[in-house]
Amino acid sequence: MDAFNEIKNVIIEILDVEEDQILPETYLIRDLGAESIDLLELAVSLNTVFKKEIIDDDIFLRKLRPYTEDAEEVGLEKSAYLAEKYPFLEHARIRDVLGELGGGPVLKVKDLVSYINYERREI
Amino acid sequence: MGRRVVITSVGIVSSLGNTEPEIIDSLKSGKVGFTRFRFDEEIMICPVQDFNLKAFTGRLKNARYLNRGAGFSVAAAALALKNETIKRGVFSQAGLFAGTGPNLDIGGECSEIRFGEIDSKRFQALWMLRFLPNTASSVISDLFGIHGENATITAACSASLQALGEAFRKIKDGYLDMALAGGGDSRLSAGGILAYQKAQALHAGKENPEKSYAPFDVKRCGFVPGEGGAFFLLEELSHAEKRNAQIYGEICGFGCTMDGYKMTAPDPEGKWGEKAVRYALDEADAQPAQIDLICSHGTGTPLNDEMEANLIHRIFQGSRPYVISLKSWIGHLSAACGAVETAITLFCMRGRFIPAVRNLEKPCHAGINLAVKSIEAEADSAVVQSFGFGGQNSALVIRKWKN
Repeated sequence: MDAFNEIKNVIIEILDVEEDQILPETYLIRDLGAESIDLLELAVSLNTVFKKEIIDDDIFLRKLRPYTEDAEEVGLEKSAYLAEKYPFLEHARIRDVLGELGGGPVLKVKDLVSYINYERREI
Repeated sequence: MGRRVVITSVGIVSSLGNTEPEIIDSLKSGKVGFTRFRFDEEIMICPVQDFNLKAFTGRLKNARYLNRGAGFSVAAAALALKNETIKRGVFSQAGLFAGTGPNLDIGGECSEIRFGEIDSKRFQALWMLRFLPNTASSVISDLFGIHGENATITAACSASLQALGEAFRKIKDGYLDMALAGGGDSRLSAGGILAYQKAQALHAGKENPEKSYAPFDVKRCGFVPGEGGAFFLLEELSHAEKRNAQIYGEICGFGCTMDGYKMTAPDPEGKWGEKAVRYALDEADAQPAQIDLICSHGTGTPLNDEMEANLIHRIFQGSRPYVISLKSWIGHLSAACGAVETAITLFCMRGRFIPAVRNLEKPCHAGINLAVKSIEAEADSAVVQSFGFGGQNSALVIRKWKN
């Protein structure tokens, strides 16, 4: 099974939502109402499913705002700084994220997929 | 007259059914759910078959934090409020009183413990909520927007009757106009059964599970564990009348004491158990002769039934009200027994039906009016009694509502 479908199954289980509510573009917090404890549970389940240690702060983009503030403070270009912090996100996605920061929590299902695929990549 | 407290809704999940007609029908037709425990052929249990919490609540992501007993609490609370037309905001002032037990499902919760080390990889992040006694209350409060005075009571097998009593007092004394009160419990896991097996409190044997458990019989040898839950919407009378609520019954008095005797055995003299019943009668302003029915604790353990039969005889010998043991129908629901048995007692009073103490052949006490056969009879007022481990005693006086 690919990462998206495995993650989808975990989200269905943890958030008690319908399968058709979950697309790559779905927002976890804005659309599915995930709360902080749900993210904790998601991390535990993803750990078990993928047999990887999931870093909560990374997969859920928890430090996104402090990172952008850091970049501003030291005069670095935000997208380059975020690309360094979140190597699993594509450049296009980082641009989108920065563009919609004002609209609320940006975390999408596809970000979780990117994280898992990056962690699983052949080195 | 002071503030009166009435019952305006009842939600129950039991092995006899989940509605008043279904339960009365099971009592009349003798349909019970006793069966053998899958890990030990000599142990009998009385489970609620096919329990599915989300069938009562709809989608509920926090269901993952509810142990089975807590699930019965939430399901029963959902049933109690299902038909209520009160706007959600009105519940914000309501109170919430729940009687709950410990989660004894140690095998199910931590299946891999070796030399003290726990394999915790599969544990949820907030796994501990499955052990906290107030998790059911927290979920109920969230589901129905209840924010008023509250308590989670964990007084062993007296817990849910005390929850009803506390809610009754809060309303009677003017702290609340409305409260949801009851409890849920299940100990039918390997850990739960082991606990009572070790304590030598269980009925055991190779006989037909439906035909051998006989509280108050001379051959009684322990209790059969059951599971389930019940919640009541309690209201101050004028509050209920103002909104034209259907009134099922009234809670008239409550009494509660502790033996200060042994860790599990009741004081054989029943001195403080008797006081709990008398306090409830006093608060209800009722003479023993005005009580028609006693829903006994009636567990089927040699010690409880002897103590309780003597206690009932001392208080009620002049009038001999019917004495029933609903545990002979549903098993012993531990923390939930008081609430579930209060619900079934109320249904029996409304249905003019006194259910027999099942399998009772030779009563252990000739001086009390044990219901040896089921009969159709009028009963307007009842005492419900719960006596728990640790010497926890409680009693509630209820009356059927007559319009």
